Order: sequence, then structure tokens, then C-alpha cells
Amino acid sequence: MATSSPILQQLGCFRSLLRPQSLTQSSQLGRRALSTVYSAKPEPQPLPANLPEQFIRQLPLRMRPSPERKTRKVPPPPPAPKCKDPIGAVQEAQLAQLDPTGERMALFDYRRNPRSVKVGDILRVTFKNGDPFSGVCLSIRLRGIDTSFLLRNQLTRVGVEMAVKVFSPNVESVEIVQRTEKRKRRARLYYMRKPKHDMGSVENLVANYLRQKRSIAGKKTGGASKRR
Amino acid sequence: MSPRLPGKLAQLPLTPIWASQCIVRSHVPVRTFGIRSLNPPENSRFNVGHDLPVLKSTPTAALERKANTLPLRTGAITLKKGMTAIYDPETGKRVACTVLQLDRVEVVSHKTRQKHGYYAVQLGAGWRRPDNLTKSLLGHFTASGISPKRHVYEFRVKDESGLLPIGQAVNADWFQEGQYIDARSNSKGKGFAGVMKRHGFGGQDRSHGVSLTHRSLGSAGPSQGGGSRVYPGKKMAGNMGNEQNTVQNLKILKVDLDNGLVVVNGSVSGPRGCVVRIQDAIKKPWPEVLPSSEASS
Repeated sequence: MATSSPILQQLGCFRSLLRPQSLTQSSQLGRRALSTVYSAKPEPQPLPANLPEQFIRQLPLRMRPSPERKTRKVPPPPPAPKCKDPIGAVQEAQLAQLDPTGERMALFDYRRNPRSVKVGDILRVTFKNGDPFSGVCLSIRLRGIDTSFLLRNQLTRVGVEMAVKVFSPNVESVEIVQRTEKRKRRARLYYMRKPKHDMGSVENLVANYLRQKRSIAGKKTGGASKRR
Repeated sequence: MSPRLPGKLAQLPLTPIWASQCIVRSHVPVRTFGIRSLNPPENSRFNVGHDLPVLKSTPTAALERKANTLPLRTGAITLKKGMTAIYDPETGKRVACTVLQLDRVEVVSHKTRQKHGYYAVQLGAGWRRPDNLTKSLLGHFTASGISPKRHVYEFRVKDESGLLPIGQAVNADWFQEGQYIDARSNSKGKGFAGVMKRHGFGGQDRSHGVSLTHRSLGSAGPSQGGGSRVYPGKKMAGNMGNEQNTVQNLKILKVDLDNGLVVVNGSVSGPRGCVVRIQDAIKKPWPEVLPSSEASS
């Protein structure tokens, strides 16, 4: 930019001298920048009624009439499924089919039924295919539909164990051959697997039991005394 | 400089150039600078023709490929309630089974070919407090007149005939005893697991000079001959489990409409209470749909 001549710069000072005194003083008294001058917030003017749509569209967003708030009703939930214990429901339905009288459950529910099978009893199980198995009961596992018991015997001097599911349809009957003489103080008699405590074969006891049973049955003219 | 410009401009020989260019144009073909073909191709740069095979990378082709493996109807969102056993009364065989429960399953919305590129039914299950939901989701539910759902999942179907009306309930009798399903759920999370647990690595010796690295992996790759780097996909320790797993071809042993139960054969991935999505098995013939299950709502 072309620099103004020094003469003109000096002449510029005269402009302030020519300025009227009253104006300069008043500005010093109320010194405020333009930006901070207070002005009341303008009252929002209501929009004319029945303004056509094309005019409303031209207004800035903040001046447009606010749309009605959409309030949708939240629908209530449908009723929750009543069944709180589905596993129990499935098991009960199974038990009602497999054990309608509750006989088998009572026979092995040693926690509630005092006359049930106890560990240490000698049991004889007959299966649907006809093979009986007998042995001493080492443990009873109460698990609803999966309730089972463990039998131990010796066949040809070899220790044999068999876990039998109580509610299996393949189990025809369970008989108590001999109850334990003294209440066992353990829930699971796994110590009986050791040679020191092993009972050995129970075949003799079972054979005796069957002989007695047959003789009673003969007297009663063929009444089967199966304890299930 | 500027005051002298008019003088220089005046000196430029403008008119003779114009005259000479006009003379040249009439005789010589147009010369344009930049590389251009003298014979521009008339056809598209792609190999197009009526005898060419249809492209396989289009959405249409993708849908056609999936047509045979997409179920005809939607599945259901269930919760895994646990496992038990069922005896077959005839054979006396015991089968382990998983109990799944349907909890207020309803159709929330659809995905359509026109709008989203595929057909799917969006189902919701359970219930969630409206104040515990984002506004966008709340609007999504209430717009279709459905109470807010805890779980929302999509089930792909083959075409629009599989889209159930919005708001219809899917009950346990949607499935039939004896049919086969695929169960999809997240497996149990095992956290950060080592390579022996995660990938079945053998680990290292207990002794013979091995110290502090009995369960770690051996070498992570070859040396200089192999590029002196670890190849992508190298099996290493990391987060195990809690990833989606699908168990296919599970037979439905039992259906209980009143309690909303579906009992399936065998096991399903995930802990008790996890969400299991079941749908008709894609590797078995589609089940014949009973009209009663369609009508239930």
C-alpha cells in the first residue's frame, strides 16, 4: 500500500482537535464496548395464525413452531410363563409315567422314608431281559429321575459293581434280600472295595432267600411276593 | 510493473497466430495433448454378452445360493433352563435332554429384500423395563405396538412367505415333537486360557531341563528360512469360549405348550439361563407345518 506522505499524517492529528469536547467526555464517562451494551431480550412475537406451510419453511429453525411431541403408549408385557421350575416339571411328568404310585421313590428315598433301602442292604434286581443281579448296596444317589444305586458283588471271585437307575423301565423289580444289621455310619460305603472290608460274594445269601421265598410262595399257592 | 503492461500487450502478435491456426486446422487432424486412444472402445470395459455366465458376486446370486439352506419359517428365542433325562417307555432307553423355555416371544419387525437385501424375522423375548431402554429402541418396540423386549434376534427365512405378521406370538407348539432343529448359542466363557487348554497343545516336559515353561507353547514359527515372522492365525493363548456355537440336528423330544417348554435331545452350548436360538434344522427335510401353530397368537 502506498504510504501517505508525512504532511498528511500530521494533518490527521487535527481531526481529533476538531472533534467536539462534549462527545469525547461523555464517552469516557460511560465507557462501554458496543458488544456489552445491554438490550432486553426481544419478546417472542407470536406467529400469525394460519401461516401457510411455504412461509414456515423459510423461517429459521429456532423460530418455527415446535411440533407436537409424539407420546406413544408403551404396551404392557404379556403374562410371563407360569412355570418357574421347568426341570422339575419335566421330571414330574416323567415320574408320573414311570412311577405312578410313587412306590419306587419311597423305596429309595432314605431321607424321608425310614423303611426305605439303606446302604449296606443286600438287594436283588431283576431286569426286563431276565438277568437278575444281586449285591450289597454301596451308595444311593438321589437325583430325581436319575436316582440310582450301586451294587457290589463277587462273580467268580472277581469284584463286580453295577449302578442301577431306579426309574429305568428296564428294571422290573428290586427286592431286599437282607437288611444291614447295624446302621452304617457312612453314606457311601466305598471302603468295602478294600480287601479288608470286602463282603465277598453274596450269592449264598441270595440263594437262601430265594429258597425261603419259594417255600412261602408254595404255601400261599403261588402268590408272588415281589417287593418293588 | 503494471503501468507498463498495456504497452507490452500491445506488442504481442496476436492476430498472426489466430490466422495461422485457422489455416492449419483445415488440413491436419486435431491434436490434443494428453494420451488418448485414436480408436476409443465402443463397448463397456467389462466382458458383457448374452452367452456369458451370470456374475456370482451379486446380491441376487448370493440369495439364490442360499435358497436351499435358508429355513422356510422363523425359529424362536429360548432360554436354556438346564438338563435332565427322559426314558423312552418302549425301549427303556434313557436319553439326556436339555430343557428350553420360550418367554413371551413375539415378532418385532421384518427385514425385507427390497429394504435390507434379505428376508428375516426379528423376534423379541422376555421383558425389559421401559425406563431401562434407550429412546430409539423404545420407539422401535412401541411403533409396532409391542412391549419392550429383553432379547432381540433375527431369524433369516427364504422369502416373504416366511414373514409372520408383526406382533404375533411364537409359542412352544411352533415346533413339533420329533422334528429336528439347530440350536445356536454362546458357549461358556473360559477367560484367558493357555494353549494346552485352548488348542490342545501337548505342553512341554515336566523335567529334562525344562524350567518354568511346562504348559507353554514351543516355537511360534520357523526361523530365517520361514521369513523370521509369526504367521497369521498362529494358535496362541487367549480368550476361550463365549463365542457362538451351533449344534445341528437336535431332535425335539417333548413340547409343553402350557409351560412354554421345548425339550431337545442332547446338550446345547452355554451356561444355564443363556439365550438359545432354535430354528428348523437345515440338514433335514423341512417339517410339515401344522395349521394350528400358525393360528396361535
